[in-house]
Amino acid sequence: MIGSKILLVDDEVIFTRNMETLLDARGYRSTAVNSGAEAIRALQNEDFDVVVLDLKMPGMDGLTTLKEIKKLGLFTQTLILTGHGSIDSALEAIKLGAYDYLTKPCQISELVEKIEGAWETKDELRKKDIEEKIQRVVESPRDAKHLFVRTT
Amino acid sequence: MPDLPANVSDPASTTVSDSDQSHRYKRLFKRFVLLTLVCSVVPLLLVGWVISHRYQRSAETRIMTAFRNEVQHHRKVIQLFLKEHRAKLELIAQTHDRQDLVQPGRLRTVFDLFNQEHWNVTDLGVIDGEGRHLAYVGPYDLLDKNYRTTHWFGQVMEKGIFISDMFMGFRREPHFIIAVKGNDAAGPWILRATVDTEAFRALVENVMIGRTGEVFLVNPQGVYQTTSRYSGRIMENAAIKVGDIHPGIQVRQEAADAGFNGERTVRQIVATAWLETPQWMLVVRQDYDEAFATENRANYSVLIFLLISAVTILGATVLVTRHMLNLVKRRDAKAETLNRQLMQASKMASIGELSVGVAHEINNPLAIISTEREILLDACQRVDHLDSAFGAQLDDSLNQIDVQIQRCKRITHNLLRFSRRTQSVIDTVDINAFISEIVDLMEREAKSSGITFFERLSPEVPPILSDISQLQQVFLNLITNAIDAHEGKQYGSVAISTTYLEADETVEIVVSDTGSGMSGEVLSKVFDPFFTTKPTGRGTGLGLSICYSIIKGLGGRIQVKSVVDQGTDFIIRLPVRSSDAKTATRDHVIPVEQAA
Repeated sequence: MIGSKILLVDDEVIFTRNMETLLDARGYRSTAVNSGAEAIRALQNEDFDVVVLDLKMPGMDGLTTLKEIKKLGLFTQTLILTGHGSIDSALEAIKLGAYDYLTKPCQISELVEKIEGAWETKDELRKKDIEEKIQRVVESPRDAKHLFVRTT
Repeated sequence: MPDLPANVSDPASTTVSDSDQSHRYKRLFKRFVLLTLVCSVVPLLLVGWVISHRYQRSAETRIMTAFRNEVQHHRKVIQLFLKEHRAKLELIAQTHDRQDLVQPGRLRTVFDLFNQEHWNVTDLGVIDGEGRHLAYVGPYDLLDKNYRTTHWFGQVMEKGIFISDMFMGFRREPHFIIAVKGNDAAGPWILRATVDTEAFRALVENVMIGRTGEVFLVNPQGVYQTTSRYSGRIMENAAIKVGDIHPGIQVRQEAADAGFNGERTVRQIVATAWLETPQWMLVVRQDYDEAFATENRANYSVLIFLLISAVTILGATVLVTRHMLNLVKRRDAKAETLNRQLMQASKMASIGELSVGVAHEINNPLAIISTEREILLDACQRVDHLDSAFGAQLDDSLNQIDVQIQRCKRITHNLLRFSRRTQSVIDTVDINAFISEIVDLMEREAKSSGITFFERLSPEVPPILSDISQLQQVFLNLITNAIDAHEGKQYGSVAISTTYLEADETVEIVVSDTGSGMSGEVLSKVFDPFFTTKPTGRGTGLGLSICYSIIKGLGGRIQVKSVVDQGTDFIIRLPVRSSDAKTATRDHVIPVEQAA
């Protein structure tokens, strides 16, 4: 979706810079960070549609970062993009709730395709959530006031 | 690559090592045999020797005692004989006077009474103090003989009683006499009896002591008083050495004098005892071997038993040692193999770790190169006027960069797969859940290829003991191949089914595709390493070979059935308990089948 906000998390600075350029050229609004901790901070401060996450990073690794992201309870979908290519870690990431995974190097078109899929999933989840909230408002307007404090 | 140990990599070193090993086993064999023999045969022989020695000593004491008793008894008999005759003569001399005995017929009556029970006295004579015969009963004509000058006459007159040695006398044949002195009013007189030599000899000599025993008497001068069975006749000089007169009985062992026994001259047992009157030495001799025949036989039996035991132990020792050594050899060989495998595994693990690092380190720059290429492509699209020749060259170059990036990616991914293959962890695997995960993963990969996935998972499939990491590799390979087999087809399907074969305690997993299938020729090589039908640069030819070795290593079996243009089935059977199945299928040939 043109204009989707993408958070790129990878310790390779040149790679994230290039990805930013490529994704921005395709109409996305991407932000690059180079560690798991920075990614968590960014997500706490700003809404993103999709996180593109590397698995092998110094400090907080990809899987830990993913767990932390999940703790935030966002609709944001996480896409694993790793050079490690370990099936075990990919499966682990899927189990932990990653949307999908890609191995480096990949073509930008493949990544875009996955980002689109992730955005759609996120969008569906968001819509479903809104529908549920509306339903609850209809059923019990008094109790549902707090539900609209924050939407993404 | 690290250097391999010399005995693995260098054939020459291996030969030397084998030779050393052979020498080592020989030394070990000798040492085992020697040790076992020292620990078993030596004590056996020692105990045997001690028992034999003790038995020999005891037997010797027993036999010597028996010999001594025999001699003592015999001496008593001889002495009793002589005493009896002496006593009889003394009685007659004391109860009769010479006038009474010289009356005609009177001495004959006494003589007859003397020999009433046994013929022991040859003749009987009454002699006056001057040595003249007053009366005589016997076979010789001796009435005119005068004994005044004879030795015995003097001895009787002096001592009152005398028993002579054997002598020839007037009758010129060996005999001995017992003479007693009587006294009457006319002075001293002598009653003399000649003991029958044959009767006396029979008394002395006819004691049967075995086959080789002999008994005889010698006087202190060493003259036979009776005939020896083997050594000499009466009145001859005896070969035996006559020592000092000793009390009691002496028993000894000594080398036999020549001629003793007539057959053997080895050892003999000799017992000697002196008579009181006359002073004759009673000699009893027997061949040592005969005396100890029973004991010697027992000894021989013990010796043979020991020998047989020793030979049996030796044989058993050699056999057992050989068997043990074979076990040691097998164990050594196994240890050697395990050692090599361990080294190989360790080496592979190191390479695996290295591969993971290298793959990751290469993938990141590759990703950067890939993004740079994409940026270039984007930039080119933004340029309005580009020289056509330059543009074509740029397109070609960028395409080639992409091709080479993909090539590098395959290499790094193969390295990663290889690294996973080097680590094996056996754990409980829920096959159905595992297949679902793999299918879920692969469905994402194949989303755009028009391939539909089907799962037919039996709920009866139990958890199995296996290596999930290696199984992932196998099924990712098989499913990737199944997807690739649809190249050129718009639609297709990949079906994965699981079944529990209770009788075999195995789980069967079938990966079926509707792809292009394989010909018989391809099928026969499908598990060969480096065999691939994919274009150069796209397939390494290792995938199915790795699958085969993994499944085999996990104790399972893999089969393939294929029909050209219809599809392929890979049938995998995995044991529920991996270790059992490993043993059972180690030698199985994994068949490759082609459906008709």
